Amino acid sequence: MAAPMELSCWGGGWGLPSVHPESLTVMAYAKFSGAPLTVNAINNCWRAPKGEVPILISEDTVISQPAKILNFLRKQKYNADYELSAKQGADTLAYIALLEEKLLPALLHTFWVEAENYCSVTKPWFASRIPFPLSLYLPGKMSREALNRILLTRGGPPLYSLTEVEAQIYRDAKECLNLLSKRLGTSQFFFGNRPSTLDAFVFGFLAPLYKVCFPRVQLQEHLKQLPNLCRFCDDILSCYFRLAVSGHSPAGQDTVDANLQKLTQLVNKESNLIEKMDDNLRKSPQHPPRKLTTLKLAAGGEESSPLNRLSP
Amino acid sequence: MALAAEAFMTQLAAAEPWPENAALYQQLKDEQILLSDNASSLAVQAFLQMCNLPVRVVCRANAEYMSPSGKVPFIHVGNQVVSELGPIVQFVKAKGHSLSDGLDEVQKAEMKAYMELVNNMLLTAELYLQWCDDVTVEEKQWEIRRKMKAIGWAGKSLEQVLEDVDQCCQALSQRLGTQPYFFNKQCKGLTFQYRRLVPKIRPTELDALVFGHLFTILTTQLTSDELSEKVKNYSNLIAFCRRIEQQYFEGHDKDSSSSATSRSAKRSLLR
Repeated sequence: MAAPMELSCWGGGWGLPSVHPESLTVMAYAKFSGAPLTVNAINNCWRAPKGEVPILISEDTVISQPAKILNFLRKQKYNADYELSAKQGADTLAYIALLEEKLLPALLHTFWVEAENYCSVTKPWFASRIPFPLSLYLPGKMSREALNRILLTRGGPPLYSLTEVEAQIYRDAKECLNLLSKRLGTSQFFFGNRPSTLDAFVFGFLAPLYKVCFPRVQLQEHLKQLPNLCRFCDDILSCYFRLAVSGHSPAGQDTVDANLQKLTQLVNKESNLIEKMDDNLRKSPQHPPRKLTTLKLAAGGEESSPLNRLSP
Repeated sequence: MALAAEAFMTQLAAAEPWPENAALYQQLKDEQILLSDNASSLAVQAFLQMCNLPVRVVCRANAEYMSPSGKVPFIHVGNQVVSELGPIVQFVKAKGHSLSDGLDEVQKAEMKAYMELVNNMLLTAELYLQWCDDVTVEEKQWEIRRKMKAIGWAGKSLEQVLEDVDQCCQALSQRLGTQPYFFNKQCKGLTFQYRRLVPKIRPTELDALVFGHLFTILTTQLTSDELSEKVKNYSNLIAFCRRIEQQYFEGHDKDSSSSATSRSAKRSLLR
């Protein structure tokens, strides 16, 4: 086995391993494909991140951007897509484009542009994890970049007012969520029973929207009306991220001991295999896989207890 | 409030049938028109042809300024003006014409996803190539550059962009397979093909969009051929373009004063 790769990304909160969509996407993919990653959440002790986060460091190679990181992982034989057909691979690209064009602007807006959300939640959260004096400057920069991106990609020339652009992007995002919900239907993942790249991207984009507590929540409200998408997120959190960070002490949770994490990953892998075998055995109309998940969620209620982290 | 305006627009649209004098406005050909704008215009033209709605193409130097949203192309139908393919599809639907009604919900989702793929990859790549192309007018270059920076493409090398285009074409090629169109839902009516009566299969707006972009890429001369070379690797995509060109554009040349397909010198797809 190659030396473990390191992922530098934004940390977690509100029950998520990361609140940042791109970071979450990479983390999810790593879990799905079994790639051993050491996750280093950015905090005040870390050097300021150079370039775009998340960043993967493997020996001497430094890779940024989720698509490139996933490509790299695939080349290292950590491939969550090997069972997909060519058409499914093509569909993956198409749906990711849909996410980026139709959902991402509203997601950026909810986090970085909507004034109440930005001031009361996003800015304090990020500022507390960035070393001084960058903490005074970086969140504002990220906010401006988000607004810029929204206006340049979705706004027309000065003929459109910001309010109109905002209305349009939220409409598009809600339609996108509806489309995703229809596409997912009652399946566990987007392509059958195994999670793939598309699941990682959808999870990365949806989970922060689903879990982070904002004052202005119109998109979250809409998402909560699509139970299969919520179930999709919860399933992945409970099956693949048993170390899901509790909202209580985010700073402490972020600096998880690397050895403990490795051990937990091994144990989780074993449990995943056992569950898959269980799933196969129980596959009958009377016992939909969902039942298992409900049990696990109930058991995982006391997340802060260290003992529970190691139990399957 | 914007929702109410849209509902009102839809009502207005539904009120009248498609007139004879509908017009599509785009910029002047040759230097003025951007590759990407040309592709968008062709996509709209293809879509309207597929719906069997007559439209004449009008080229104006100030088309962008005439447009309500600043975007081209736009159509002038009755006393309404609508720009861009998305809203035009909605508008046409309000008038009772739709190419994608026969699709089920999951297929509609897939269709929309593939349309975004074309916008996300092909359209952006076209913009990128123009930005690199010296011939592009400076103010356009500046505008394009801002957009590239915002979406993170400014840091991409030409090679990476071409790779993205290749990936996109590969996805489109795989999705299309050996079928005539991307979605082959059978519609009412029969058509005569290969000496038999067979059920009609109609294209959708996705076919119009893909055709608009691929045909434009294949037939526009940029400083380098790299972009069109990428598309040429996929023979079923070339056959697709040829098919749509034959079915919807040949024989219509006499109607419009400036037919899209007789535009560029290097138009032959039969190379």
